[in-house]
Amino acid sequence: MPFHVIKRDSCPLSKKILYYVIAIVIALLIGAAILAAIGVNPLSYYFNMATMGMVGNRIAYKAFENYLKVFVPLVLTSVALSFAFKMRFWNIGGEGQFIMGSLAAAFVAFKFGPVLPQPLTLLLMCVGAVVVAGVYGCFVAALKVKFGTNETLLTLMLNYIALYIIIYFANTAGDWNIFLNPNSARTTFGSFAEYASWPGIPIGRFTLNICVIFTIIICIIAHIYLKRTKHGYEIAVVGDSPNSARYAGMNVGKIIVRTVFLSAALIGLAAAFKVGTAGILSTAITGNVGWTGVIVAWLAKLSTGGIFIVSALISILNYGSTVAASTFGAVDANFANMLQGMILFAVLVADFFCRFRLVRTEKAVPAAAAVKADAPEAAEIPAAPAEAEIPADAAEAAAQAGEEVSNEQ
Amino acid sequence: MSQEYAVEMHGISKAFGNKIANSQVELTLKRGEILSLLGENGSGKTTLVNMLAGIYAPDAGTILIDGKEVEIRSPEDAKRLGVGMVHQHSKLVEAFDAADNITIGTEKGALFLKKDRYKEIQEIADRFGFRIDLRKKVHNMSVSEKQTLEIMKVLYYGAKIIILDEPTAVLTVQEIAKLFDVLRRMREEGHSIIIITHKLNEVMEISDRVAILRKGEYITTVNTAETNEQELTEWMVGSKIDLNIAHPVSEKTEPLLEIRDLTVLSDEGNAAIDGLNFYIRGGEILGVAGIAGCGQRELCEAIAGLRPVQSGAIVHKGENIVGKTPKQILEKGIAMSFIPEDRLGMGLVPSMSIAENMILKTYKDTPGLFVDMKKGTQEAEEVIEKLGVVTQGTFEPVRRLSGGNVQKVLLGREIKGEPNVIVTAYPVRGLDINSSYQIYDILNQQKMKGVGILFVGEDLDIMLELCDKIMVLCHSKVMGVVNANHTTKEELGLMMTGSLDLTEKDASKPYGIARDTQIDEATLEAVEAAKDVREAEAALAEAEEQVAAAREAAEAAREAAKAAAEAARSAENAKGGE
Repeated sequence: MPFHVIKRDSCPLSKKILYYVIAIVIALLIGAAILAAIGVNPLSYYFNMATMGMVGNRIAYKAFENYLKVFVPLVLTSVALSFAFKMRFWNIGGEGQFIMGSLAAAFVAFKFGPVLPQPLTLLLMCVGAVVVAGVYGCFVAALKVKFGTNETLLTLMLNYIALYIIIYFANTAGDWNIFLNPNSARTTFGSFAEYASWPGIPIGRFTLNICVIFTIIICIIAHIYLKRTKHGYEIAVVGDSPNSARYAGMNVGKIIVRTVFLSAALIGLAAAFKVGTAGILSTAITGNVGWTGVIVAWLAKLSTGGIFIVSALISILNYGSTVAASTFGAVDANFANMLQGMILFAVLVADFFCRFRLVRTEKAVPAAAAVKADAPEAAEIPAAPAEAEIPADAAEAAAQAGEEVSNEQ
Repeated sequence: MSQEYAVEMHGISKAFGNKIANSQVELTLKRGEILSLLGENGSGKTTLVNMLAGIYAPDAGTILIDGKEVEIRSPEDAKRLGVGMVHQHSKLVEAFDAADNITIGTEKGALFLKKDRYKEIQEIADRFGFRIDLRKKVHNMSVSEKQTLEIMKVLYYGAKIIILDEPTAVLTVQEIAKLFDVLRRMREEGHSIIIITHKLNEVMEISDRVAILRKGEYITTVNTAETNEQELTEWMVGSKIDLNIAHPVSEKTEPLLEIRDLTVLSDEGNAAIDGLNFYIRGGEILGVAGIAGCGQRELCEAIAGLRPVQSGAIVHKGENIVGKTPKQILEKGIAMSFIPEDRLGMGLVPSMSIAENMILKTYKDTPGLFVDMKKGTQEAEEVIEKLGVVTQGTFEPVRRLSGGNVQKVLLGREIKGEPNVIVTAYPVRGLDINSSYQIYDILNQQKMKGVGILFVGEDLDIMLELCDKIMVLCHSKVMGVVNANHTTKEELGLMMTGSLDLTEKDASKPYGIARDTQIDEATLEAVEAAKDVREAEAALAEAEEQVAAAREAAEAAREAAKAAAEAARSAENAKGGE
């Protein structure tokens, strides 16, 4: 065996960053090869994607506004998921919680939008989404605490239940169905943009949606909550060692239910932001943030700051590729998903090299008598290079032959 | 190359990260000898033999078996080379019987188990003098039976070189004697044996030669006949050491903790502790001895409020604490430190810093939303200084500390709370001699301060020296409480296996009840009543069982009668036909 794996004790930050950059470059190179094979110039494609088509565009600010619409739900969902993941509660039900939050927010908008002032409607939309999504998530936690059910399975299945509920509303005509557009002959979701739409702060021609500011504030609060407060401390203890938590007198069940409620509620809030910005429901309202958020949270190692950065980058990838798809007809917007998968794999490999390193296996001189006295020196002499570099398969064959001989004996 | 050696390992090095487990280690095993591999925990014994068994690959060095250089990359390779290892923790399939556990992995290509496997295995058992029921399922076996099975398994595979990793750690004195007989028989048959242990008396008794490792380095190999325990210790520790544990005499006070008729269920739902009575006075160390898994863990957890109590009372200074939350029990001054096998499982949060671990039990006491890290850091500094914890600082995650330091941090935090009862299980588990003695010192200091200490231990020699009294558990029942000065290892061993029950000696006197009890009448009555209920329930269950059995018997008899009548009728018919 010419190489073996050794665990590193620590890895300096600069080295880590270098490994991650190399990993991403490798993933992009593979993507480039595929692009080249389709006949697209990889450089111009990547340039178009990374800049989200903003260079040389008269309405570049519009592109950035749209980018933020992708970014806000993703970063909020990822932060929310990190709450649960820190506690080793595998909430992969972000999609379902997001959908339930969207339905609640839209319900409030349709029901109360026409009668209440807009700020109050928006506030109620948030409250409704937070409560509904929170309950949708935390009853799984309650089941886990009470009966020891598997949260991975339950949150996963609830995703599909939520998805089919929203599809039901999308496809079923009826007077009771307030989500639909009453003026359309076909069953389509109606718009409530005129009653409830998040306001923006104009900066020149660019409009900064107020949700972005809320999101930044929430991320800062989340960071402080996890790092400094007693609740955050409890989450970390329960995640790392539930036995120790119980032993320290913590009410583990309560902490799990509370934290999962917060996690799901925050996803509901993300849904309220998204719905209030879009002004209309859609069966694809989540934009897959429930799935992508899982990846983001893990890539960022569950650190809130890291999540902010990774979300920003992944959003560029996602939004940029839709923009690029309109320029490069041959490349589907789904190319981003493939690239995202490749980057994830490459980063995981980089992660491996941050924690381990490969080392050449040395061989000591096999002379038994000599070894005892000269052992330290013997190891340092790079044992006769010719023998040491016998290809692995030859060594294996030799070993096998040796075994056969000894078996015969 | 001389053929005298079955195994030669030369210049073996192995590192895990920056931690060097083995550095240029030498090991030779002659044919037909028993070699003891001696060293403190963390000296690299297990790592070394794991490389021989194919579990790890060495970073450097060569291994020769029967004088031929070999490369052992997997346990499969090791098996082919005739190396078999019996691990510290059994690696058996619990749902299979003994014979099937042995034949697993040998029935290559065959779809069905061979019928004659029981006979074939029984022959091996007879040859080496194993007494084992081959049809017994592993989950019904005792630790010692499991170990016997593991040894038979490697013999069945045809291993000529057999490694035993701390085989005696979980056995009683009598079982150890039996094991050693088997090992001697194996040696006579020409097997070569490596036995890992850190008990010096066993080394002297069983082995032909001793190889000593210290901190991953090879020290020497000596003939057992030419050395003594003192010399071995010095090689092992690297300095002269006093092998006696201090046993200061303290003033005993009133009973601090009294346990009455305590019954606690295990995770599986059967009684882990069954009708237990005992008490601890202030200023004494009460040892709890018993084979692994005979209720020690459940007892500790019940006292700390972590496990529901089925019936009975745990009375602390006259107050029944059954049903109180762990937090409330903590506040009464009962500290628990249980060191599980992985050493980090209970009481500490591995990836948190020492400072964060310090405030685990008190983080809620400071006002406000935020955790008071300043207090944690300050307390961590105190414990580090007072107990001499070796660390890079208060910010270092506990999981990065070495075993001894982890345990010091845990005990240090428990003592900081100034408890009046300390429940400690396996506090020196996995520690080297020096660290162990530091822990004993800490416990003795607490004892002199009038704290009552419940010490659940593994090593009888240590318990005899450290404890004032020793309580022996066997199959969830107490076998007796003996004065540590007036008992022997043999007596304890008999009690651990249930062969000797001191509680039955004088039936008129109730066992394990303090004369000057602090328990009030009401609690006593409640306990008595609960006991009556429990006994009545047991009697009822038994009666019901008997009724069911009788009913079944009656049913069977009726069936038999019917069959007989049928037979008679057909006989009649047959006769009529003639």
